[in-house]
Amino acid sequence: MASKKLRRAGVSPQVCELLKRHRVESCQDLLSLSPLEVMRLAGLSHQRALSLLRSVSTHCAPPVATLLELWKPTSESFFSTSLPALDRLLRGGLPRGTITEVAGPSGCGKTQMCVMLSVLATLPSSLGGLDAAVVYIDTEAAFSAQRLVGMAQARFPHHFSSRERLLQMAGRVHVFRELTCQDILNSLPGNLATRSNLLSHQASVLKYLAHRFNIPVVLTNQITTHLGNTGSEAPGQADSGFVTAALGNTWSHTVNTRLIVQYGDGRQRQIVIAKSPVAPYAVLNYTIQQEGIRLHEGGNQEPMGETGDPVLQPIRVRTEFNYSLSRPAETDGYR
Amino acid sequence: MKPLSAAPLSPSVKVKLLRAGFDWEEELRGLEPLELSREGGLSLEEALEVQQILTRGVEQPGGGGLTALELLQQEERSIVTFCSQLDALLGGGVPLGRTSEVCGTPGVGKTQLCLQLCVDVQIPECFGGLGGHAVFVDTEGSLVVQRVVDLAQAAVHHCSLQDHDPEQQEAMKTFTMETILEHLHLMRCHDYVELLAQVHLLPDFLVRHSKVRLLVIDSLAFPFRRHFEDLSVRTRLLNGLAQQLLQIASQHSVAVVWTNQMTTQLVPVLGETPGHRAARGLLVPALGETWGHWATQRLLLHWEGPHRLASVFKSPNNMESSVSYSITQQGFRDASSSLSESKQPSSSLSESKQPSSSLSESKQPSSSLSESKQPSSSLSESKRPRMQEGQ
Repeated sequence: MASKKLRRAGVSPQVCELLKRHRVESCQDLLSLSPLEVMRLAGLSHQRALSLLRSVSTHCAPPVATLLELWKPTSESFFSTSLPALDRLLRGGLPRGTITEVAGPSGCGKTQMCVMLSVLATLPSSLGGLDAAVVYIDTEAAFSAQRLVGMAQARFPHHFSSRERLLQMAGRVHVFRELTCQDILNSLPGNLATRSNLLSHQASVLKYLAHRFNIPVVLTNQITTHLGNTGSEAPGQADSGFVTAALGNTWSHTVNTRLIVQYGDGRQRQIVIAKSPVAPYAVLNYTIQQEGIRLHEGGNQEPMGETGDPVLQPIRVRTEFNYSLSRPAETDGYR
Repeated sequence: MKPLSAAPLSPSVKVKLLRAGFDWEEELRGLEPLELSREGGLSLEEALEVQQILTRGVEQPGGGGLTALELLQQEERSIVTFCSQLDALLGGGVPLGRTSEVCGTPGVGKTQLCLQLCVDVQIPECFGGLGGHAVFVDTEGSLVVQRVVDLAQAAVHHCSLQDHDPEQQEAMKTFTMETILEHLHLMRCHDYVELLAQVHLLPDFLVRHSKVRLLVIDSLAFPFRRHFEDLSVRTRLLNGLAQQLLQIASQHSVAVVWTNQMTTQLVPVLGETPGHRAARGLLVPALGETWGHWATQRLLLHWEGPHRLASVFKSPNNMESSVSYSITQQGFRDASSSLSESKQPSSSLSESKQPSSSLSESKQPSSSLSESKQPSSSLSESKRPRMQEGQ
């Protein structure tokens, strides 16, 4: 949209020619100029310069709609996670057209969550799915087709009773192994600014695709050590360092919904809704079963209890000492 | 006498006229377009345009000044936030005709505050609201219609509890969740060019929709935090944008609210061991120091332990101070324990105040309702728009 040539935006050929001499060729170039600069470069009066800017703007500006026109039934704006308690909190599931992040320590169920959502997306709408195909971008070589099929069978034994349906489902999950992506990010010249810039760019491409095609975008994030003030801990524990979602503060602004998976007590694990435009802060218990993620109702659901800044949300890793960094998380069970 | 060189004409026409010996606008006034085209060496079209521009210039009164009395009457109008403490801090709410910036870390409630304002601006006038419409420019895709439905229903419910006279009952008929959604215009901008284009068109839009009293841009920072190798270009664009927004605010008496993100700034730590350079990260509002000058008032939302705090850190007429707030199912509200206090008559205030120790930090043991306007000394630390972050 932005790189649209001025000629196609209804600008007269003479003005186009004049502007081209100053390397102003696209709508983006023109809109980056102030009215005074447009006057000078295109040789127009102030009035005409303003109306030129306005007419080019009409070609670039997105449409305006009232919210009443955009108000859609729940099924069209949310993607059910098939976990009733989570769906209830998120008002129907993951919001379509926006970015949802799943962050957590290794082996806690991020990939399981993604595989489960892939199965759900292929289901017909009568079963709460999207009846659609899935693009699965695998940067860690963690995707297992066997696990996908196994989970589908265990979770929906009736629907996937025939081998044909199972294969059809598997055929709709398009896996892209982009192992080099990680390498690119890692080999960036230690420049955090470059990384943020790259990330923001990717984010806006993802957001555009999500919004344009009304698809839910789910991505996973690793965890990192955050040194310094936790903000929510007692003064004695401050400055101890803790584990939180990676990629920094700017990235946290970018994701629309952030779910954190973490280790709870014993075999229990927890899903934390850390950031959401609709849901309050909440903690749900789950375990990973053959059929994927299974929530445990009851337990210690804390829908309204807030613990502080979700960006600096300490994540519990698998160790005896919560919030402590001394031991790395062990990886066993499913990744 | 106005010099011709200052007239809003195109450069080439101006050069021709100056060359033909015209120095002052008045010299052109008496001339017919045909004469002008011959004497000035212009084409007939150009001459006509010159005459049009100059006559239009005469009609406009030079610099419409206002008295402070007129300004005082305008300034009284503001949009409530439904958080009584924050309203008190802002002197009644978010003012019309001004620009306000809301900064804050992710998930602290910037979007929630914006949505709440979009709903509150529509409260009918007989309930003490403005009965206006709202425009929401969404650059991040965080607007979820379902959430607006929640807030709208809560606001309608809140007003329906208070409809006592017939006028209010009549107003309630047209103040429903559906009309709130209908009067909220959404523009989804994917990059900064779309945002710039939209802002160019906004004056026309506001003329067509004259009831709009609130313009929200959520967030202004997101489209400007990438694509810019040359930061001076970004600064120039942002300055132009801010100028347009200021114009929109004052010319259409619209409250302009935009949100800004937080970014990490590294500052060297003094007094460390030599040879070992240490730096500490500070969270500061994004878009640079210069940008901070544009908004008339700036609000910082941040976490203080488990509490959400709102601090005013730039304002021409309100004290710098912090209040706590909460975000509930119904929307942006007072922090739960302080809600009861501020609503109660002052006689029973002293009783209810004592037991509430959970908020002891943000509460001074004063007995007047206007306490949130007082500068409280214990909060002087948290006033600054900087919070400590890790390394």
